[in-house]
Amino acid sequence: MKILVCISCVPDTTSKIVIDPATSQISSQGLTFIVGPYDDYALSRAIEIKESHSAEVIVLHVGTAESEPLIRKCLALGADSAVRIDGNPISSNQIASAIVDYVRANPVDLILMGKESIDYNSGIVHGLVAGALGYVHFNPVMHLDMTADGLHLTVEMDGGKMEINCTLPAVLGCQEPIAEWKIPSMRGIMTARTKEILILPLSSPSEVQLVKADIAETARKNKMITADEAEQLIDLLRTETNVL
Amino acid sequence: MKKAAILAQTKEGQLSEQTRQLVSFVSAFYPDQIKLLILGDVKFSTVSSSVPVDLFQLSADLYADSDSIATIAAGLDNFSVFGIKSIQIDNMLSLLAAITKKDMISGIQTLSYSSDKFSISKSIFSGKASLELSTSTASFFSINRNFDFSQISEYSELALKSSSSVEKTNTNKASIVSIKPITGSIPLPDAAIVVGAGRGLKDPGNWTIVEDLAKALGAATACSKPVSDLNWRPHHEHVGQTGVKISPNLYIACGISGAIQHLAGVNGSRIVVVINNDPEAPFFKHADYGIVGDVNDILPRLTKKLQSH
Repeated sequence: MKILVCISCVPDTTSKIVIDPATSQISSQGLTFIVGPYDDYALSRAIEIKESHSAEVIVLHVGTAESEPLIRKCLALGADSAVRIDGNPISSNQIASAIVDYVRANPVDLILMGKESIDYNSGIVHGLVAGALGYVHFNPVMHLDMTADGLHLTVEMDGGKMEINCTLPAVLGCQEPIAEWKIPSMRGIMTARTKEILILPLSSPSEVQLVKADIAETARKNKMITADEAEQLIDLLRTETNVL
Repeated sequence: MKKAAILAQTKEGQLSEQTRQLVSFVSAFYPDQIKLLILGDVKFSTVSSSVPVDLFQLSADLYADSDSIATIAAGLDNFSVFGIKSIQIDNMLSLLAAITKKDMISGIQTLSYSSDKFSISKSIFSGKASLELSTSTASFFSINRNFDFSQISEYSELALKSSSSVEKTNTNKASIVSIKPITGSIPLPDAAIVVGAGRGLKDPGNWTIVEDLAKALGAATACSKPVSDLNWRPHHEHVGQTGVKISPNLYIACGISGAIQHLAGVNGSRIVVVINNDPEAPFFKHADYGIVGDVNDILPRLTKKLQSH
């Protein structure tokens, strides 16, 4: 069984986002990058399945060479090999097309990724990939177990959750608590050094044009109420803001 | 946009306010045709629109792969398709976009259309920034729940023109074993008011003061990540960067310090109230109203004040 885990490399969750005035786009200067937290859950579950069901785990990233240390970390966690599709994609469709092209040439049984990347928050790459390949699609998946003839899943839905049985091949968007994040072992780090990262060109163009990025600041009133007069809050919410 | 379609869920047979506004918004572009594709029961017979609207009721079923959704996709050739963001809407729109080989844009905060081109601003970095983009090829659009519809024109209520049902293509690739709706509380993403609490509550047994306040306000309850990690509260209540993202009219944060990951989940709230006994809590900088005080003292007093009216 082959599992493909698609990862995004995104600014750390505590990053302050700034705009580069020269390009009017988000500046990557001074940002620390991490593997997307949801993708990290997906990878952790794939490695657990590898250990219990002897699967082969391949990590795929669409991005530039700057992401290689993060791909190497995924290999250290236990992925068997990695693919980097070299380019700087600007749309979900471009990323999905690159994944679809790879899978058509190298079929896999299960494709896992985070429910969304925490930078552009689109949350649709898994659906686009599943639709194009004709695979089963569920998102966001909270529990994933292998069964004799497919998968048993717990999937969040609008206003609840559902238990699903489905067949392979499948594409799943993942979220906690599907697995615990893992820390690479020293042995994992050593063996990752010799694992292969295959580099393929990004051939899908973007048909979306980026105009500019802006920082969104919500102005807040910053009005303090003393603890003695806490009840005043209710009056202010009724009269000053009309939210009650 | 020659032809437009709107994919929507209903609740107790009714469209949400945002979906009704989306229909008017899309009709303002005067497409030749509008299709309203409905998941769920239909207990309404009119929509506010400038042009007639055709109703198509989709079978309430799992649309989990491109085969099961093929009958819907077949009716959407050359349509621009819109929906209000939810788990099911985004999942279906992305599958449909892939089958019809069209681009999709999600997280849309503003959208305009002229000369065959869409200009869109999309919320990124959990609302910390926005991205303007333009496209003449994208056909699938997921609109954020807090999209500002206040500028839309008012149209009269039109009777839905015709109605037909669309059945799923049966593939047997997936089946539902069980469904567990969240009961006894308002689902977080739908709530107009949310009361969130963090580790400042000290003990899961103290949550009654949070629940009492939420009940008095008709609010949903939420929590910070440390609290759901400690299993004090269920995972689906976790609001933040890796949890649920909310955009209610009012968010009251009790005993939450305001870590940047938590703020990322509540940025979209219209009014933010912070109650914390630490005057240095970073959350106060992002609050409309702040009270420095003990939640065990303040929350019951607020509840009492609300009940007295």
